[in-house]
Amino acid sequence: MAGNSSNFNTNLQKYVAKFTSLKGVIALKDGIVYTMPVSLIGSIFLMIRFMPFTGYDEFMAGIFGPNWAEPLNQVTGATFDILALVSVMAIAYVYAKASKAEPLSCAFLALVNFIILIPAYINDAAGTAVGGVIPKAWAGGQGMIAAIIVALVTAEIYCFCNRKGLRIKMPDGVPEGVINAFSALIPALFTMTLSFIIYIIVKAITQVTLIEWIYQVLQVPLQGLSDSFIGCILMAFLISFFWWFGIHGANLVGGIIGSITLANSLANQAVIDAGETLVAGQNALIVTDQIRNNFIAMTGSGISIGIVVGAILFAKSKQYKELGRLSLVPGLFNINEPIVFGMPIVMNTRMFWPFTLVPVMCAAISYIATAVGFMPAFGAAAVPWTTPPIISGFLLGGWRAALVQIIILALACVIYLPFFKQMDAEAFAREAAAVDEDDDDDF
Amino acid sequence: MDNIILICAAGMSTSMLVKRMEAVAKEHNKDVKITAFPQHELTNYVGDIDCILLGPQIGYLEEEVKREYEPKGIPVEVINSSDYGMLDGKKVLKRALKMIKESKES
Repeated sequence: MAGNSSNFNTNLQKYVAKFTSLKGVIALKDGIVYTMPVSLIGSIFLMIRFMPFTGYDEFMAGIFGPNWAEPLNQVTGATFDILALVSVMAIAYVYAKASKAEPLSCAFLALVNFIILIPAYINDAAGTAVGGVIPKAWAGGQGMIAAIIVALVTAEIYCFCNRKGLRIKMPDGVPEGVINAFSALIPALFTMTLSFIIYIIVKAITQVTLIEWIYQVLQVPLQGLSDSFIGCILMAFLISFFWWFGIHGANLVGGIIGSITLANSLANQAVIDAGETLVAGQNALIVTDQIRNNFIAMTGSGISIGIVVGAILFAKSKQYKELGRLSLVPGLFNINEPIVFGMPIVMNTRMFWPFTLVPVMCAAISYIATAVGFMPAFGAAAVPWTTPPIISGFLLGGWRAALVQIIILALACVIYLPFFKQMDAEAFAREAAAVDEDDDDDF
Repeated sequence: MDNIILICAAGMSTSMLVKRMEAVAKEHNKDVKITAFPQHELTNYVGDIDCILLGPQIGYLEEEVKREYEPKGIPVEVINSSDYGMLDGKKVLKRALKMIKESKES
C-alpha cells in the first residue's frame, strides 16, 4: 500500500507539475490574483452600502440625504462591475510575461479585443438601444469566462508573433519603450482583424455578440455545475485530496474553479443591485466564492482546527504539544501548513478520511443551510481568505452565517479527536527512543 | 550577506518559518537576509539570490524553478516537510547555509 501510494504520489506530482506549468493555467491562476485588491476593497464599500440591519437605508438617508448610496455605487460599480475587464488584462499580462514577451501591450490588446466582442449599447427601460456605453453587465460577472478565453487567445497570438519574429524591426538605439509599442503592431493587426471577423460571423448566426454567446453556452452551464450539491462536495473533497498528497489543493482547485465561483457571487450581487432579495432555489446561487474561501477552507484546508484543539487539550507527546502551540495562531487565520506537514497529514493513511470528510461535511452543511434559507446566499462582498472564521461569517452573512461556522468547527473538533488521540499515543511511545541528531548548535 | 528566498503559494506559511529562521540567524550571528513571497512573484524579484527554498506544498514546481535558477548557480531545494511543518527554523537555516556553501565551492 505504501509503495503504491508513493508511486501514485510521484505520478500525481508530475501531472500537477505538468498541468500547472501550462502557460494558460499559470495565466488563469495568477491573473485572477490581480482581481483580489479590486474586489476586496470594493467589498468594504459594498458592505457599507448593504448593511444587514432593518431601517439601515432610512437611517443613512436621514444623515446623508436621499442620495447617500450614490457615491458608494460609484466605487462598487468601478470594481465588481469591471472584473472581467481587469481579468482579461491581467490574464493576458501574466501569459505574455510567462512567455517572456512584453506584457503591458499584450494586456491592452486583450482588452481591446474583449471590447470589440461585447455589445456596444444597452437597452433603456423602453427597450431603445442607447449607444456610447461599455455595458457593465458584460464588463463584470457575466463576462468572466469570455474574458479568460479572449485573454488566452489574444495572448497566444501575441506571443506566437513574438516567437516567430513577426515584428517591425527598429534600428539600433531606439528606446525600448518605442520598440515595445511597435512590437505589438502586427499581433494587434492579427487579433483585431480576427475579432472583427468573429463579431460579424457570430452576430450573423446567433444575433448576439461572442461574449453574450459564450455566457449562454458555456458560463451558465459551468455555473450550474459548480452550483450543485455534488459540485460543492466535490470541490471540498478535491482540495483536501490534493493536500493529502502534499500539493496545495486550495491553490490548485481554486485556480481552476475560482473564476466560476466568483461569477456566482457576482450573479447574486446583480440580483441584490436590482433591488430584489436573494432566495435560494429561485434567484440565488449557493456555491459562491465565499463558500469556497471562508467555509470549506476555514482554519486551513481540512478544517484542521479540530486537530489543533485536540493537541492543545489532550496531547501527551512532546511533538504534538509543540505542534498544537505553534499551529493555533496561524490556524485562526486559516493557515495550516504546520498541521499538514508537521503532523503530518500528507500521505498519512490514518488521517485521509477525517481530512477529506470534514470539509465535505462542511460543504454539505453550508449548502443545505443556504438551500433551506437559514444562511443567506452571498453577493459580491468578500473578506480576505485569511479572515478568522466566525468573524468572516459574521461579516459576510450576519449571526446566522457565524453560527453555521461555529457548528462546523465544533463538529470538526469532535470528528478529529479519536484520530488525533491515536496519532498522539503513537508519537508518545516513539518519543521514548527518539534522538534528534541534527538539533545541535553546530553550524 | 547571503540572500535566502522562501517560496510558497501565498507567502503566508513560509513567512512564519522566516521569522524563526531569522531568530536563529541572529542568535548565531549569521549574516543572512531571508525573504518569503508567493510563487508568482518570484519572477519579479530583482537582486542577487543565493538560495531558493520551496515549501513542500508547491514541491511540484521544483523542476521548473530549478530549470530557471540552477544554471545561474543558485541552489534550489524543497524544504523537508516535517521541518517545514514544525517550523524548525534552525534545521532549515542550517540546510540553506550548507546549500550555499556547497554551491560556492563547486
